[in-house]
Amino acid sequence: MTEAVNKTSSGYAKAILKEAFSQISARIGLIWIGVIAFFAVFAPFLANSHPYLLSTEAGISSPLLQHLSPADVIILVLCITVLILIYLKKHIGFNVLALFSVLIISSVLSYVFIEPPRLVVYEQYREMEQNGKVNWVINAPIPYSAKDYLRDYGETGMENPLGQKERTHWFGTEQSGADVLSRMIHACRIALGIGFVATGIAMLIGVILGGLMGYFSGVVDMLGMRLVEIFEAIPTLFLLLTFVAFFGSSLYLMMVIIGITTWPGYARYVRAEFLKLRKMDYVQSAISCGLPLRSILFRHMLPNGVAPVLVAASFGVASAILFEAILSFLGLGLVDNPSWGQMLNQAVQSASFYWWMAFFPGGAIFLTVFAYNLMGEALRDAIDPYLKKNN
Amino acid sequence: MSKLFLKIDQLRTHLETGKKVVKAVEDVSLEINRGETFCLVGESGSGKSITALSIMKLLPASIASHPSGSIELMDENPISILDVKEDDMRDIRGSRIAMIFQEPMNSLNPVYTIGEQIIEALQIHQPELSDQQARIKAISALDDVQIPNPEQRIDEYPHRLSGGQRQRVMIAMALACEPELLIADEPTTALDVTVQAEILSLMKDLQRRNNMSILFITHDFGVVAQMAHKLAVMQLGKIVEQGEVQTVLKNPQHNYTKQLLAALPENLKQQHRADIQAEIKQSQAEQRDRDLIKIENLKVYFPIKKGVFRHTVDHVRAVDDVSLTIKQGEIMALVGESGCGKTTLGRALLRLEDTTEGAFYYNQHELTQLSQKQVKPYRQELQFIFQDPMSSLNPRLNIATTLIEPMKVHGIGNNKHERIVLAEQALEQVQLKPEFLWRYPHEFSGGQRQRIGIARSLVLNPKFIVCDEVTSALDVSVQAEILDILLKLRKDFGLTLLFITHNISVVEYISDKIAVMYKGKIVEKGDTDQVTSSPQHEYTKQLLAAVPRLH
Repeated sequence: MTEAVNKTSSGYAKAILKEAFSQISARIGLIWIGVIAFFAVFAPFLANSHPYLLSTEAGISSPLLQHLSPADVIILVLCITVLILIYLKKHIGFNVLALFSVLIISSVLSYVFIEPPRLVVYEQYREMEQNGKVNWVINAPIPYSAKDYLRDYGETGMENPLGQKERTHWFGTEQSGADVLSRMIHACRIALGIGFVATGIAMLIGVILGGLMGYFSGVVDMLGMRLVEIFEAIPTLFLLLTFVAFFGSSLYLMMVIIGITTWPGYARYVRAEFLKLRKMDYVQSAISCGLPLRSILFRHMLPNGVAPVLVAASFGVASAILFEAILSFLGLGLVDNPSWGQMLNQAVQSASFYWWMAFFPGGAIFLTVFAYNLMGEALRDAIDPYLKKNN
Repeated sequence: MSKLFLKIDQLRTHLETGKKVVKAVEDVSLEINRGETFCLVGESGSGKSITALSIMKLLPASIASHPSGSIELMDENPISILDVKEDDMRDIRGSRIAMIFQEPMNSLNPVYTIGEQIIEALQIHQPELSDQQARIKAISALDDVQIPNPEQRIDEYPHRLSGGQRQRVMIAMALACEPELLIADEPTTALDVTVQAEILSLMKDLQRRNNMSILFITHDFGVVAQMAHKLAVMQLGKIVEQGEVQTVLKNPQHNYTKQLLAALPENLKQQHRADIQAEIKQSQAEQRDRDLIKIENLKVYFPIKKGVFRHTVDHVRAVDDVSLTIKQGEIMALVGESGCGKTTLGRALLRLEDTTEGAFYYNQHELTQLSQKQVKPYRQELQFIFQDPMSSLNPRLNIATTLIEPMKVHGIGNNKHERIVLAEQALEQVQLKPEFLWRYPHEFSGGQRQRIGIARSLVLNPKFIVCDEVTSALDVSVQAEILDILLKLRKDFGLTLLFITHNISVVEYISDKIAVMYKGKIVEKGDTDQVTSSPQHEYTKQLLAAVPRLH
């Protein structure tokens, strides 16, 4: 018989992603996350009290670059690396390796060599300008840092968006006088970071434990499942509250706790997939060809079983963001650094209701969680064989 | 009342999937008389099931359309089925035209007893029946399909019945309302031959009693020869030939029909095979005396565990005390019905299943006592070809990776380039193009995948291959090609094969020796010709008698 070969070659992962992101909802979600990521990476360039360039009698200087922190630099370098890697289109193993080495090298270098001034006086540029000491100045689009409390303007506090004539605050100001828009842009980092890192930790633990449970089954599976059940019984939010009460609030602690309490979900998915895959003929044939365990687990089983985990992960990112927002809203989150949840908290602190403090951060949280859920739904549809029309 | 019952005229069925229109049925015309069996034969995807579903109007209206043609029920006033409204169609389905499906395991609802399901069907079409009357009718329907103790069995759930019994219940359900036409879509494909023979004779019997027409859809010409009065051969949605069954089978006119008939294992050139055999016997005369595989009292038991502490209460004796020797260069066929342990035996030989007791010698090396690590060097020489070509290739890896990775592990070929050349050669040996190396499994048809599966075991230069039902998922013409490839490889490389199958005609074509397995034990073994012509054991006799023969 002549048998037509009618489809062109392409990997499964690529096909899934293409199908998932051919849906409009997923694209909207992706675009929103892209915008947030852009804000997160370029936050110091978008909202900063330090001008890009400043010309005084002492000469031309760039206070903004001088005040960049090591973290700002690392994020920038990583972003550029990712863009280069996407352009190069190398193998996934190479990408991960390159990203990690760049991360380590850049963090070591930047923490050794970059030392921003300890004492930061945000008001100095505005005062210099008023006193006529400045020849010319180029400011950031939003000329207020996240922690610039506008001390030079005296008693500031909650101000309506565009409520002042001499200053423009697009989203108003918060309790201690800082610009809300600037704080929201800087908070993007926390929102993205906590989502990705916490979910990353959970996925790593979940995939490894779940994979071992599924492949070896028997006693390993039984013990593993009991462990899963123990961890599933832990109420994440109350554990977080307890830890914050004991150890003070730290972003990294939050990431780790969310990570180690949410892995059982991923472990369950991977275990179920591996139990099924173990009996598949192609895995059996890999065993009968005498391939090493490493290859069977990571080359023949994991790529076939990882799809549901990715779906769960996109929902997981959303829920990690919510956890952080909830903690901050309860006043147990970060103290000085900006976060969306913490801003929401301020909206209801006093007797009067400050709508801009609720609307903008609340909207941002809503949209981000919504965007991740949209992408998760699209991925789920793409890997669902029942919804496939032709394959 | 006229003799003619159903008339299909120039029927076309188009299915829309996305932007594509699949012309599933093209200009099909056929006539079915009362009390007659009409067989639709064709390979998978030829449109035979779609034709049947069109008659029942069971295709989803959103994707199926009939651009032209008509289906008419010949009453005093002919009813055009395509124009009947959905509500009225319900009165026709079941009471005038009934249908039974291929997979008896899935077509009964597991949460109702079989009695409830038959009674429901009865009362929908005959609402005047009281519960008591319906029950009596259901019991007699079960009695008709020869289910023992119908008074008791009527209250059982489907999971208590075997596959053959479930298919009987399906037939009882379909026949309970005394339809004038029964559409049977591959009703015996999923069943063992012995059960198939019983179901076929039952259907013939019921047909005679009720003067019912049967539209029988199948791919098996042996079944056609037994059942049909008339026959139509379908290819790519068209009927290429139809007529009286004996005329078509004895004297096929269309090329495709000739091809199909020639591809049947029993029609494949016996002479050609004899030549190859003689050649092999000559060239390997000295080697053939050597036992390559020796199985001694092998047992594979699966524990049945119960209770909180999962203690073993009993064993499933999948392979029970089997002894077998296979000589170098021989093809040994292992035959038996589903669940008799033949696949487990094959898997145990490759240490994919742990053995309970007994010994297995490969080239005088005992393998059952070795650890998985110690077995590794032997894995190269012992290979397995799997039944289902759809699941035996990793969908995420291209063919090159699938073929090259095992070579690398076993140190075949010095570098990547050399291995690619070897992989290309392997593909050529199974008659595939070398450029297929860079494609992914989903781009291939079932037959092509099965060949890739063969190529995968070939790249390791094996000495012994276990072929587990390698052709049972394939159409006859593809099956013939695969069998020829295997025979040729045996000739070229002196391979030894253990050929696991349930298809006797394939066995007769390909194998030198045969071992018949029944409930975990080997009940008869010997030369293929000798066993098939004069079987000794009761089960072998039954099995051979049940095989539907063309002539």
